[in-house]
Amino acid sequence: MLTKKIYERFYDKNLNNIWKKYLNSENTTKSEPTKKWLKILIPVIGISGLGMLAVMGAFFAFIITAWWGQPVPILGFEQTVEQPISFPHTIHASTKQLEHVSETGEAMMGLGMDCTFCHRTVTTQDNAGVPAVALCTTCHAHIGSTESEDLNKIREAGGILGDNPHPINWKRVHRMPDHVRFVHEPHIRYLLENPDKIENTTSGLKQGAAGVCSTCHGDVASMEQVEQVEALKMGQCVDCHRDNNAPTDCAVCHH
Amino acid sequence: MTTAEFGKQNWGMVVDIDKCTGCQACVLACQSENNIPLNTQDRFERGRAISWIRIERYWEGDFPDVNARFIPIMCQHCENAPCEPVCPVYATYHNAEGLNVQVYNRCVGTRYCANGCPFTVRFFNYWEPVWPESLRNHLNPDVTVRSRGIMEKCTFCVQRIRRGVRNAKKEKRDVLDGEIQTACSQACPTSALVFGNLNDKNSQVSKLKNDKRNYKLLPHLNLEQNVIYLAKVDPEKNTELHSEEHASHE
Repeated sequence: MLTKKIYERFYDKNLNNIWKKYLNSENTTKSEPTKKWLKILIPVIGISGLGMLAVMGAFFAFIITAWWGQPVPILGFEQTVEQPISFPHTIHASTKQLEHVSETGEAMMGLGMDCTFCHRTVTTQDNAGVPAVALCTTCHAHIGSTESEDLNKIREAGGILGDNPHPINWKRVHRMPDHVRFVHEPHIRYLLENPDKIENTTSGLKQGAAGVCSTCHGDVASMEQVEQVEALKMGQCVDCHRDNNAPTDCAVCHH
Repeated sequence: MTTAEFGKQNWGMVVDIDKCTGCQACVLACQSENNIPLNTQDRFERGRAISWIRIERYWEGDFPDVNARFIPIMCQHCENAPCEPVCPVYATYHNAEGLNVQVYNRCVGTRYCANGCPFTVRFFNYWEPVWPESLRNHLNPDVTVRSRGIMEKCTFCVQRIRRGVRNAKKEKRDVLDGEIQTACSQACPTSALVFGNLNDKNSQVSKLKNDKRNYKLLPHLNLEQNVIYLAKVDPEKNTELHSEEHASHE
């Protein structure tokens, strides 16, 4: 009913008038003065339309950035994953002065541990591998504060505190789609043979296999919580494979 | 000695029908290697069972003089493949290693390729594959689980080929003959299925494919398959087909 009214009041009469204006300008009848409520409605529609346009623009900008690279770091798209135990890569892997303060109140230095100390299978197998809790408790049975909540969680999981040893459900940060088979071993081998291809070495202090990880994973040693630095999309894989004369046949990765 | 590279090999298989006993070990090996969904009775009845390799059985003669003949049929990896040109999205193509590759993430499920295949060795996933709880951890992590709506077929165990070539490259040598085996050839108790590099003149497949008994399926279609069959030897007839190997035994 309302729509019919609007149609009759606005479109029909006004269009009729415009029509007459165009056809025979002499016979133009004066258009009725615009109604008061229309004067309010039209700007409201206009402004809300502009608002919608802005929202749509932002939405498509988000989609496009996510398509070509990493999504814009808003609304929790920062690519980090909350781990069950907040494992700091900085303390373990960094070689620099840290903000952390030790039990005795001294400023801490990073331990500078090799990536392959924990991610043991990375140079020989497909997956980098996450260590068993036993490897953590090798050190943390003795080292670290006994009041630290996270360390006690590790000790509980390792069976040193309590009597319920269990594995830790670490969350995956770098996730490939199911139809891709990425194998670490040949990539690390190639980068070790061609050190000039290594990228993102901001800390640049690691030797051997641990020095090449930064090419795809960024400077993990300076990350409190590991985040995905590179988009790791197929375009990136193929670009690198082309530059280095690696096979670009589909069946090499997709099988 | 040169280093293994992608594209240097031409993979092929020789199937000796004379050795095949129809035991279905290859079928089972393939099923478990390649994450093929379980085929239930109703799927067979509807003709929608997935089996990348199958043993076709033929009866010969009348009772009581009956002979069973077996022939394993898998994707023939044709050089002139009828399935390849019909794909609108290039999900299936021939690669430099002589494999007829099916790219699962490209496939949109038009099923044109399955209609084109004269051996009916392409299978469409009509359902999302489901495994019982007890088989949850049996899946091969090297093989993609194909979802509903896409085509799949024998890949010549490309995951094993990639791994073999990778290992050879790591050790800076060529792929050795017999180093890479498909699941079916590995499972075959009589070694009726032999897999190898056809480019290598000294490989077992290269020697076997020149056997007197060699033939290819549906030769009138000129598909130039990479799977070569060796005919069955019947002691009572077809004496002219006896290979040199067999003749020496007599």
